[in-house]
Amino acid sequence: MFAVILREFRLLLRSPALAGLVVLLPLLMIALLGGIFRAGIPTGMAVAVVDLDRSHLSRSVTRMLDAAPELQVTHHALSLSEARGLIVSGDVRGAIYLPQGLERNVTRGERPEIVTFYDNQHMSAGSLVARGARNAIDTALAGLRLSIRQGQGEATVQALVSIQPIALQSHALFNPAFDYVHFLLAALVPTILQIIAAAGTAYAVSLDFGPGRHPQVLARMAGGVLPAMLGKILPYTCVFVLILGVSDIVLYGLLAVPLRGSLPMMAMGAVMFVLAAQLIGALAFVLTRDMGRAASIIAVITAPAFGFMGLGFPRDAMAPLAQAWGAVIPGTWYVELRIDQSLRATPTDLSVTPLLWLGCIAGVLAALLFVQLLRLQRRIKAAS
Amino acid sequence: MKAVISALLAELRGIFSDRQVRLIILAALVIYALVYPFPYRAELLRDVPVVLVDLDRTTSSAELARRIDASEAVALAHDAQDMVQATRLVHERRAYGVLLIPAGFERALLRGQQSPVALYADASYFLMYQRVMQGAAVPLRQLGAEIEMGRLIASGASADVALAQVSPAAQVEVPLFNPAAGYATYVLPAAFILILQQTMMMGLALVATRRRAGNGHPVWRVLGRMGAWVALYALLLPLYLIVLPALYGLPNLATTGAVLMLGLPFVLATGLLAQCVAALFRKAEVVQIVLLALGLPFFFLSGFAWPVEAIPAHLNTVAQLVPSTPAIDGLVRMTQMGATPQQVAHAFWHLWGLVGVFGLFALWLEISGRQSRSPDTDAAR
Repeated sequence: MFAVILREFRLLLRSPALAGLVVLLPLLMIALLGGIFRAGIPTGMAVAVVDLDRSHLSRSVTRMLDAAPELQVTHHALSLSEARGLIVSGDVRGAIYLPQGLERNVTRGERPEIVTFYDNQHMSAGSLVARGARNAIDTALAGLRLSIRQGQGEATVQALVSIQPIALQSHALFNPAFDYVHFLLAALVPTILQIIAAAGTAYAVSLDFGPGRHPQVLARMAGGVLPAMLGKILPYTCVFVLILGVSDIVLYGLLAVPLRGSLPMMAMGAVMFVLAAQLIGALAFVLTRDMGRAASIIAVITAPAFGFMGLGFPRDAMAPLAQAWGAVIPGTWYVELRIDQSLRATPTDLSVTPLLWLGCIAGVLAALLFVQLLRLQRRIKAAS
Repeated sequence: MKAVISALLAELRGIFSDRQVRLIILAALVIYALVYPFPYRAELLRDVPVVLVDLDRTTSSAELARRIDASEAVALAHDAQDMVQATRLVHERRAYGVLLIPAGFERALLRGQQSPVALYADASYFLMYQRVMQGAAVPLRQLGAEIEMGRLIASGASADVALAQVSPAAQVEVPLFNPAAGYATYVLPAAFILILQQTMMMGLALVATRRRAGNGHPVWRVLGRMGAWVALYALLLPLYLIVLPALYGLPNLATTGAVLMLGLPFVLATGLLAQCVAALFRKAEVVQIVLLALGLPFFFLSGFAWPVEAIPAHLNTVAQLVPSTPAIDGLVRMTQMGATPQQVAHAFWHLWGLVGVFGLFALWLEISGRQSRSPDTDAAR
């Protein structure tokens, strides 16, 4: 078996295609993803203001909007239809409508409406606009209410209490900076690695077990088909775990993603995850004995895997069948473990579940592969 | 003309006679179209479970809890004695928020002091966090306004003056284009375009890696192939971009003609890019794996799910070279937001620009003969 492992490492050094796929490609992809999300929380979404009042109040609301970190007032539209056109064509992400007579109606106590329109097709940008505008307008109105009360002779401190009888102190659990980049990267890196580990392993296996190749030579070298296959898989396990480790050092070290959990558990999960992903690839190839069809199987399982992890749309809210499909993909459990043990500081006893799932998935895949290899061994024996 | 047609037929033969290419282009359509949208079928989050930690246990705290429980977004599914117990529930993912009403909540209200309430929302899931905040903040604000108004009226103000003072202007938020904030409506229109691009690139790049040297002038050969792609995708593109979305109940505000108008340069640019990719990586297996790995980065680079404002400028420049970037922007704006072709003209010209650039590359590859290796060299590897 060690002879095969050594041979595999030599092969890796000699073959640019193989080295490119299993080393360069994952590193490049991880760097690319890191680059996309490096800037962190999006700020400065362009918005238009439709100011039909042109009063002191409307100008102060506009100033507040522009001061909100989420927003940047880039356009002043003359009508709602003009603002809508700006949103549709993508010049702005939303528009705030300040109706004619705003200031006058406020002083008269007629409660005029301030309307925020936002592009909810681009939900992430749109919800930022809505939140920024809500806070900015709230601040502007609170200032107004405060000055009314002060005008009636109330002390500032008392007025502050009066305008908000119930104070909501909201806390963002596990993510105080409200930075989704950590979560996205914690899930995207394993997703990409899962694709590459499965496909790369299938490719490496195809080089020796494919049509026109001679697995029996390898089997003789290792003393059996099973050790031969292990010798093919394990070198890449090292490579992928190492890549995961390097990306984690960058993520938790340089990008300062918090790490508040058990490192041994994360490491154990990483090894099992890589192995399970590789077994998907190896099994796909051994079953089809054709790299093209194996790649299609791998694509179907690993390419849509991100959606099933529940980072965007939560797993709990999915249909039972979608939850079940997600549950048999190793990445789902590894990402849960990763997020739990790094960002959420989950008690370790709760993280046993994802580890068990990873173990089960890897075990079942290994058993299936074993059965296939026994068949192959029989075929080789019959041939010789 | 004869050279164009023979190249066209050769390309179509290349696509349909290769089982692997058939598998990618046709079977992938079925599988991806079923598997990809699968997680998002539920569309909306309702009654997100939240833990209530009521340390006050008075009529006022019960009233507050009742109102929050009644909101559509959240349900107070668990009662906990203290924060330790509540946090455990959140860690177990059995709840996504904690509402803490401290002791003395009612007393402070009755004495006219400010009475704080704490809401801990699980921010590891963006959508959950939003729903929990929404579900709790609106009833809280309402209750607060009612209390302030009650106090004003008690001190002798008339009801409408009190209302105007509590809330001098009404704040209205109008979500456009996806009013229900459905997740499928949000992500699927863009995802279908990306899937189309990736499967098409994979298939056509495979054909390119296995192509024998053709005859006729290089210009005619490239043109003939482009004709083959257009012929094939004249069927597949409407399937992905019109029929599939309709099956999933997504709105479509654009005319078929408008979709096809943007679809044509999109198909051509993707096909030509596939030629360049094939020449770059040469081996069919490698091309497939690389494109598989690039799917997600392409999606996030397109500026759809992750706002383009937050993508570093140099990466954004690179992103403009990928056909899906302008195609997703233009097509989503037309089909989901009702943009007119004039309003997405930038995407249209952008795509034709890519056709020009990749076309020149493909032509250069064809002339320098880098693709026309005979199949024997492949087998010899």
